[in-house]
Amino acid sequence: MMDAGRHPNIELMTYTEIENITGYVGNFHVTVRRKARFVDESECTACGDCVPVCPVIRPNEFEMGLSTRRAIYIPFPQAVPAAYLINIDECLGDVPIACGKCLEACDKKCIDFDMKDRIERFEVGAIIVATGLDVFDPTGLDEYGYTRYPNVITSLEFERLISAGGPTEGHFIRPSDRKQPKRIGFIQCVGSRTEISPDGPNPDGSRGHPYCSNICCMNTVKDSLLLKDHYPDTEITVFYMDIRAFGKGFEDLYRSSKEKGVRYVRGLPGKIREDPTTHNLLVTVENTTAGRLETHELDMVVLSVGFVPPEDGHIKKLLTLSNTSDGFLLEAHPKLRPVDAPAKGVFFAGCVESPKDIKDSVTQASAAAARAQRLLNKDRVSVEAITAWVDHDLCTACGICVKVCPYGAITADPKQKIKAVVTEASCAGCGACAAECPQDAIVMRNFTDLQIMAQVEAALAENPEEKTLVFACNWCSYAGADLAGVSRLQYPANTRVVRTMCSGRVDEDFVWRAFELGAAMVLVSGCHFGDCHYMTANHHTQKRVDKMWDRMERWGIRPERLQLEWISAAEGQKFARVMREIEEMRRQVTREEIEETKAIIAKRWRKRRK
Amino acid sequence: MATAGAGKQARFKCLRCGYEYTDVYAPDRERTCPKCRSNSVRRLRK
Ligand SMILES: [Zn+2]
Repeated sequence: MMDAGRHPNIELMTYTEIENITGYVGNFHVTVRRKARFVDESECTACGDCVPVCPVIRPNEFEMGLSTRRAIYIPFPQAVPAAYLINIDECLGDVPIACGKCLEACDKKCIDFDMKDRIERFEVGAIIVATGLDVFDPTGLDEYGYTRYPNVITSLEFERLISAGGPTEGHFIRPSDRKQPKRIGFIQCVGSRTEISPDGPNPDGSRGHPYCSNICCMNTVKDSLLLKDHYPDTEITVFYMDIRAFGKGFEDLYRSSKEKGVRYVRGLPGKIREDPTTHNLLVTVENTTAGRLETHELDMVVLSVGFVPPEDGHIKKLLTLSNTSDGFLLEAHPKLRPVDAPAKGVFFAGCVESPKDIKDSVTQASAAAARAQRLLNKDRVSVEAITAWVDHDLCTACGICVKVCPYGAITADPKQKIKAVVTEASCAGCGACAAECPQDAIVMRNFTDLQIMAQVEAALAENPEEKTLVFACNWCSYAGADLAGVSRLQYPANTRVVRTMCSGRVDEDFVWRAFELGAAMVLVSGCHFGDCHYMTANHHTQKRVDKMWDRMERWGIRPERLQLEWISAAEGQKFARVMREIEEMRRQVTREEIEETKAIIAKRWRKRRK
Repeated sequence: MATAGAGKQARFKCLRCGYEYTDVYAPDRERTCPKCRSNSVRRLRK
């Protein structure tokens, strides 16, 4: 951090919040609020004379509340810049009669209560999001007694307790009696790898999160080795489900920890009780290796807490980012573009994308920096020839396209009647806008309505009543169908596939036209939720198909004849199975029904089109 | 895009096997028939 602070090409804006981001790749306009520190950071020498005179005492957030700080403080020892700041909400006031003691104590006169927040605007070509993550709060897990028993602490609190720069200056003591604990237990997977259960403390019934937080096992192994180095007579027990020690050198560390006498018990404790006189902890656990119930008396228990995605969705919204089902940010492609956001010119570094350790964070940050550099070195960016454009003769400025675009690439103002404009550098070509546009005013280059309709017509030119027409998205379902083919899986030969970039491109008109031409069955298929190449464009597919089912029922067409399926590129088996199931359904569709449908579509849809 | 009824109980019908069930309506969650695993699950409106 100090290196970054000293680098001539890096401007660090600390104590600053992002107010707004507009624009697109190469041309982002960023507005920030530089919050008033009330201390001139260029003048402050961090002498600390102001601190002892400040009468306001608050828990020190960096020390996890294990020590205190004043209202004028440096957030943590290596903070850049090394200058004090005043939390004005805690400060007794800038009126000298109320307090103002720090003003008198500061020889350099760098405290200024008239300082105001400053709004600054600047332009950047690329943005790297590295906003990190939050730590799981185990207070709701009643069985562990966190906050009820003083000697049950979290792994982060433990980190501060053994740090030489921590609240106890590295003297390892337990909170209840400030004595050095001799018997320590670590409980793994607190808030991680949990199932949703009805008695879970969270609103959704969960006891944490289903994913593995990635670093907690190795953090405990590291802590156990640290303790064994400094306090060799400490008895350490680790309660775990599985120890996940993948990564270079990690297995060696794990083995070394066991060799030094750390005991690993396979099983997570069901309950912790406290001896009220000694404040020692009685931990009940089912040792699943030995197959017996055990009770361990320990002086201190460390909860190895997992990670949760950061709660602030502000940046996510400003950059039109999306997240995976675990709440962390969704990358453009999990294997091929792991540090790119789906929005062009935006990259990820660190735990905002998923929980990771320091080494992985540094690797990803270096990759993100290189990706951004590569972009900034270019004079112009090229886009694929599949972007959208708006025919202003047809556009009525309704603004629907603005709402469905996952990339925020379209601007329009229904109130001012300003027609839609596509920022092509931001457009990824999913076609959700074109499918939703009630005026058909949006044209997708190389996937135009005319081109897709022509494919529908060609596919159903002969014996349409014997065909099942499939709309398959380029990235998942089409690849899944392809896999079924190359794997020589049997599926009905009357399947006709029309490829669109995204299932979100499938316009209602394509489906009605297929039925008008006499198709017996139609399948719309796309990527699984969370896998969509265009972030959430497939959510619009589900909503649209829902609407079409309702319409079919109103019109007197069996909704079953339109099917929807999420098929990934790896699910060749699923594609073949779905097509076989749909073929069963197709056999039930009579010629009379098809003729009736054709008449209904001709009447209802053609009338609407006019 | 906000969707009406999100987070509330709704009736669903599988258009593959015909199974009907009640669940929370979550427009941002993939729908799968609990009986036949099909995604052709229609949200019924009354
Ligand atoms: Zn079903």
